[in-house]
Amino acid sequence: MKRMILCLSLLLVAGLALTGIAKETLTIYTAFDQDQAAVYIEAFEAANPDIDVEWVRLSSGEVYTRLQAEAANPQASLWFGGSNTSHIAAAKAGLLEPYKESLAWQYISPQFKDPEGLWIGLYVGYIGFVTNTEFLAEVGAEAPTSWQDLLKPEFKGEITLAYAFSSGTAYTTLAGMLTAIGSSEPGFDADDEAYVAAFNEQVGQYNTSGSAAATMVGLGEFGIGCVFSHDIVKKAISKGYPVVMTFPEEGTSYEIGGMALIKGGPQLELAKVFYDWAMTKEAQDLYKDFFRLPLNPMAELAEGSVRATDVNVLPIDLVWYGDNKDAMLDEWSEITGEY
Amino acid sequence: MADVVVRFENLVKVFSEGTKREVRAVDDFSLSVERGHLVTLLGPSGCGKTTSLRILAGFESATAGNVYIDERRVNDIPPQRRDTAMVFQSYGLFPHMTVLENVAYGLKVKRVPKREIVKRVAETLGLVGLEGLEKRPVGKLSGGQQQRVALCRAIITEPRVLLFDEPLSNLDAKLRKGTREQIRRIQQELNITSLYVTHDQAEAMSISDQIAVMSEGRLQQLGSAEEIYARPANHFVADFIGEANLVPATVVATSADEVRVRMYGAEIAIAQEDVAFGPDEPVDLVVRPEAVDLVAASEGDIRAFVRFSHYTGSIVLYSLELPDERRVAVQVANPQEHGFLQIDEEVGLRLHRRSLRVLARGSSDDR
Amino acid sequence: MKLDAYRREVRGEIRRLLHDPVLLGIVAVVFVLLAAFIVFPLIKVVQHSVWPGGTFQPKYFIDFFQKTYYWRPLVNSLIVGSLVSVFGMLVAFIFAYGIARTDIPGKGFFRLVAMLPIVSPPFLIALAAILLLGNHGVITDALRLNWDIYGLPGLVLTETLAYFPIAFMILEGVLSKIDPSIEEAALDMGASKLRTFFTVTLPLAIPGIASAMLLVFIRSLEDFGNPVVIQGRFRVLTVAAYHAVVGRFNMPLGATLAIFMLLPTLMIFVVQKYYVARKSYVTVTGKPSGIGLKSTEKHVKIPIFIALCILSGIILLMYGVVLFGSFTRLWGFDNSLTLDNYRYVFQVGGQYVWDTLKIALTATPIGGLLSILIAYLVVRKRFVGRGAMEFISMLNFAVPGVVVGIGYILAFNTPPFQLTGTALIIVLVFVFRRMPVGIRDGIAQLQQIDPAIEEASSSLGAGFFRTFTRVTLPLVAPAFLSGLVYIFVRCMTAISAVVFVVSAGWQLLTVALLYEVDQANLAAAAAYGYVIIGIVLAAIVLMRFVVARLFKGGLTPLGGE
Repeated sequence: MKRMILCLSLLLVAGLALTGIAKETLTIYTAFDQDQAAVYIEAFEAANPDIDVEWVRLSSGEVYTRLQAEAANPQASLWFGGSNTSHIAAAKAGLLEPYKESLAWQYISPQFKDPEGLWIGLYVGYIGFVTNTEFLAEVGAEAPTSWQDLLKPEFKGEITLAYAFSSGTAYTTLAGMLTAIGSSEPGFDADDEAYVAAFNEQVGQYNTSGSAAATMVGLGEFGIGCVFSHDIVKKAISKGYPVVMTFPEEGTSYEIGGMALIKGGPQLELAKVFYDWAMTKEAQDLYKDFFRLPLNPMAELAEGSVRATDVNVLPIDLVWYGDNKDAMLDEWSEITGEY
Repeated sequence: MADVVVRFENLVKVFSEGTKREVRAVDDFSLSVERGHLVTLLGPSGCGKTTSLRILAGFESATAGNVYIDERRVNDIPPQRRDTAMVFQSYGLFPHMTVLENVAYGLKVKRVPKREIVKRVAETLGLVGLEGLEKRPVGKLSGGQQQRVALCRAIITEPRVLLFDEPLSNLDAKLRKGTREQIRRIQQELNITSLYVTHDQAEAMSISDQIAVMSEGRLQQLGSAEEIYARPANHFVADFIGEANLVPATVVATSADEVRVRMYGAEIAIAQEDVAFGPDEPVDLVVRPEAVDLVAASEGDIRAFVRFSHYTGSIVLYSLELPDERRVAVQVANPQEHGFLQIDEEVGLRLHRRSLRVLARGSSDDR
Repeated sequence: MKLDAYRREVRGEIRRLLHDPVLLGIVAVVFVLLAAFIVFPLIKVVQHSVWPGGTFQPKYFIDFFQKTYYWRPLVNSLIVGSLVSVFGMLVAFIFAYGIARTDIPGKGFFRLVAMLPIVSPPFLIALAAILLLGNHGVITDALRLNWDIYGLPGLVLTETLAYFPIAFMILEGVLSKIDPSIEEAALDMGASKLRTFFTVTLPLAIPGIASAMLLVFIRSLEDFGNPVVIQGRFRVLTVAAYHAVVGRFNMPLGATLAIFMLLPTLMIFVVQKYYVARKSYVTVTGKPSGIGLKSTEKHVKIPIFIALCILSGIILLMYGVVLFGSFTRLWGFDNSLTLDNYRYVFQVGGQYVWDTLKIALTATPIGGLLSILIAYLVVRKRFVGRGAMEFISMLNFAVPGVVVGIGYILAFNTPPFQLTGTALIIVLVFVFRRMPVGIRDGIAQLQQIDPAIEEASSSLGAGFFRTFTRVTLPLVAPAFLSGLVYIFVRCMTAISAVVFVVSAGWQLLTVALLYEVDQANLAAAAAYGYVIIGIVLAAIVLMRFVVARLFKGGLTPLGGE
């Protein structure tokens, strides 16, 4: 009998130990790629040795759903990176904490921040097309330079990008398509529906991660991908894969990489330290290595970075697309049959 | 008032009750065992003896009826709290333990101090002639030795009731005899109330204070060895124990200590005092092969012809044909001295009056 | 009459249980655990699919039948499952027949190859398929083939190779257990070996074959890792459910999809357990006896041997290309060798290695002990509700991992049962997912022991706990310890349930592997894969060593002469 009580209590203690006695650390969700996030976060920890960061990498769509799931008891305090369409949707759902006191928020221009202080822009990125040159040689085609080009018969089954619902990259791409095709009013019109349906036929595989397409096109698994320009440069061009980057002449969509405090997060004070740090020049200089465009005007730019002047940018109502994300995704699922 | 330690009261056990394959293993079985007695449950396989034993031990549950140990109802008490100890047919020794550890197991449960354990184990092993083997792993013992270790293990805990489930079946014949005598001797010395199960009559008859003969879940007869052999209560017991010839007869008259029957034209008076029969009632006479003398044809109670003989050295067994072509077996001891009969020879059967038993016809099984 | 008898029996069992408080306590605790961690999550899944937010609203059920693209994944899953069970059975049969019924050389080698997919994360094979047969794969390029491995072909190929070992283990047992005198009788009566095979051997093996096929079907239906990698546009139910929950937080949709995943697997499980298994003419418990007719004719041996060589070659090629890929700088483009990928795993993923080990090493003994305890209760004890206990604990066999994952999120996401974000929830997933196999093995081990030994212990006054720890456990120890390794391996290679319950604090190697594949970092994914394989192999070797040292003399239960 004594032995049994001893065993049971040992088990109980073990169980309790495992639930994790809370440490004084900052927990964040990040939508940056694993290797990038590691670099940024280590830099923060180096600059702030008394704070330990625990982080999970999720795509921006997944971060949004995680916040919804944890709404009653948030596990993380900061959302670092990822296409801000998800941030907008989360703000609308009341999942974010305002931080107007941040100096950075105060000096950044209005198009790159939420008016209530619920999110702020870290960087800007533009959607581009990455095409494998060996593939082009095989089919005897030119790299696509317009959204319409993507519908060419020789590209059937050769396009890859992420599911609109799981990746900010793909949702931004979708927003771009809808604005470029037919009327530029936000939302699906008849032309848009036809286009998306036709485009769907061209897609060989949808991925979960937004930037995977760049690598897959580099590897030659697929011919064409729709990815952010910084990812194309970082993952395909700079590695030396045989690829070429082009932009649609009708105009392309862009994203603001966002950051936000999570409402009810367990370590909001620590999160604010990170937030402030992330907007400094020192922090944003790091983007150079990953070819991102920092929104801190003092930060350095990488060689060969694409600037706003190099590309035609569409007048996308990002706020509208953020607000209506769920409805847009439903319609997208309806048309593509993917959900 | 007899000191009853174990009491079965209208015990019933039905397996798969309510289904098509329902089996009534024990059917209204009642039995009392007195303190210090060894009672054997004897019967063919499937008669319910092992089931009853296991119900007493607590390994099976009764469907109906009660089981009492020292007048305490134990039906719902789990086996480890019943103060019984069982010696199993397959010994059930703990293969990963030594002799000492096996025998000491029950004492360890009772938290007996180590020094005392060692002493008592040595004593108990001494009882069966296994002293000095404490450290031996039980896998290295012979079958007979294993059986004795199992016995030690059970008796050392001084249980109220000691249970034996055909403990000798797995031993070869020679060992069986010696071991059963040892068991009986120890049981008597220690005066432990015991319930013993076997299908071997010789075993039962040689060691028991009382034998309960069972068949088809029911008690056929409870009695000493002599009672069940000489005065079987019904056809089953008569037939199961020893050899029996059943000869039909008709009652002429009965009195307090005698029954007169008529058979094959002869009238015979048989000493029997416990049963009453009506006049002209058809009965069967239990005639044991050794309860007949073979004499000249005119001098016997019945005439018969020798049809077959079977010589085994110390006896010769004759198969004789009665006037109505019925066959009976008769055993003659030491034929060297008395002479051999020839096939088809006519002889007379003289029945031993005090060795016969009258059974009512149709008493195939009884309470 | 029947009801009366039943009621009497139940009342008697309750009374007896009340008199044995230790047993009562243990039975109660086990029931609570089973209810909390198997039944409750399932109830939550059902609740969320038709009662989301508290109102009866089977929107997705209705949508499911009305919209093609909703039920297409279910149809796809069933198609894949059917093909995989057939092909898997065929591959397994060749291996099983070759090893159990012929005298070809190299049996040890072939058996090792057949068990290889068990010690690795199953979706490593999908990774290999892409490396070899993808649009720009090694073989595709070399042979200038113009095909698309993504979709149905890829799914069938990868799942067949990943799950045929399960069928193999069953078939090997069945084929070696067939009583040789039956076949000898047939030959004796003049039937040729071929005729004997088709009229005697094969029919006797049919229940085993059917079982094998059904179990592979279930595994295919619940496969998550392979489809995530290689399904292409051929969507299957598990990935759809995952995306519904993790991608869109659409719990009602996710729960509905989970139910549609659960229905076929439950049906198959019931059919297999209560119908096919009953018709078995040969027992499958215990070790194969090795006796029996061995085919020695060349015209049987040689084709089988060749087929086995080819199949083994394919499997080894796949594992080989992944191993090679783990050492390349840029797979497919720059094949210069480097250790960078492994450095990456231990730097970025170093914490994951520790997390995974900690969790697996916690879950393994708990799962093992709980399994043997339940096996003991079910086999040796009689108490009210025993049948229910057996059924519930085996239930997880039929529940797809994705359903378990969704169920656990739904069940343990809110106070008072807030377990999401902890290591405990991952441990629980592991413990209860692995239980059915552990219990089944435990039952087999216990049936090898003479019941008289445990009865003797009770007879001498030992209660439940003492008998279990001093007598039963030591006797099943060798097999138990080996079984622990199996649990550990499954913990290290699991993906479909745990992908839902990892968190900021606790990450697992298989999930990290999946993320790398997600981001098309194939070389890094390959490195993760081999780190997992390395840990698993080390564990297996270590346990073999430990068991050999501890049980030098061998232990056989006594059972009379």
